[in-house]
Amino acid sequence: MPEWINIIIRSLSLLIILFFMTKWLGKKQLSQLNVFEYITGIVLGGIVAIHTIDPTSNIIYALLSMFIWFIVPFAVEYMSLKSKRFRDLAEGRSTVFIQDGKIMEDNLKKEGYSTDDLLGKLRDNGVFLASDVEFAVLEPSGSLNVLPKKENRPLTAKDLGLKLAPEKEPQTIIMDGEVLLEPLANLALNMNWLETELDKQKVSIENVFLAQADNNGQLYLDLYDDKISVPQPTEKALLLANMKKCQADLELFALATENKQSKALYERNSKKLKHAIELIQPYL
Amino acid sequence: MTIGAQVKGCYSAIKSVEASLQLLTAKTNEQEQQIKLTEAERMITEIKNDLRHQVIQLSKEEPQYQ
Repeated sequence: MPEWINIIIRSLSLLIILFFMTKWLGKKQLSQLNVFEYITGIVLGGIVAIHTIDPTSNIIYALLSMFIWFIVPFAVEYMSLKSKRFRDLAEGRSTVFIQDGKIMEDNLKKEGYSTDDLLGKLRDNGVFLASDVEFAVLEPSGSLNVLPKKENRPLTAKDLGLKLAPEKEPQTIIMDGEVLLEPLANLALNMNWLETELDKQKVSIENVFLAQADNNGQLYLDLYDDKISVPQPTEKALLLANMKKCQADLELFALATENKQSKALYERNSKKLKHAIELIQPYL
Repeated sequence: MTIGAQVKGCYSAIKSVEASLQLLTAKTNEQEQQIKLTEAERMITEIKNDLRHQVIQLSKEEPQYQ
């Protein structure tokens, strides 16, 4: 067997093995590589590199060493999943850098962080004043997570006491002009509905590059032909505006009429309508 | 425009609101939202009925504008 065929076979088989090993070691490695996992990756790559370009080496050795370097990290990961103590040992613990707004100098020193490093990390998180921080912790992966003091946190709907409608994820139902049936079914909609909606907006299905629908059955489109402008759904805004207009009208009638009975009727209905508006405003 | 005509306009607007609400209720698949929309729809229907009486009464009062 000529050597070049040997090299091709070795390369391909080792490549496939390496591919599956990295798959099995999981996605976790990519996102938060600790030193151990980093080294594992490099060694696996190194083994493959050495054995693919050297046709004289024994392929069994390659498989053996790759197996070892695969099975040990795999076992470590599996055991870390099962036991908290082992996890602390293998992956390290997080270190608190700032607690109750006070910087823990001892912990900084222990992790080898200078004040500049800490300030830099805080700036990464958008905090420029150390006293704005209530709590900061260095994760085992090396990133610093910061909890700013309550008054420095971004305002949320909860802070404002706003009631918001729950929102489900929108589904993509047309991609590159092709209808995806599964997402459509997830929204409990069908092709008929889609065709009607597209008809309403006067676009043909072939011209649609991307279409997404939310769980209220609103359809958002992007067309291949960028010269055609697609109206955004205005149904809900219109409904709300209409309700507000009616409410204002009723108030006006109540003021205008001199008939006591009618006045009471208008006022009562105006209030009722106002209540209805408040009730459904979060959903519109 | 007479009051009768204005009230009639409001009455038809309310009818359109009711229809839109029904449409939205049918379209959504969120339970809570459905309940709220149905509740609002019920209120709108009550308002609609009241207004219909008012429209009839006003058309009796202002026969010259028929």
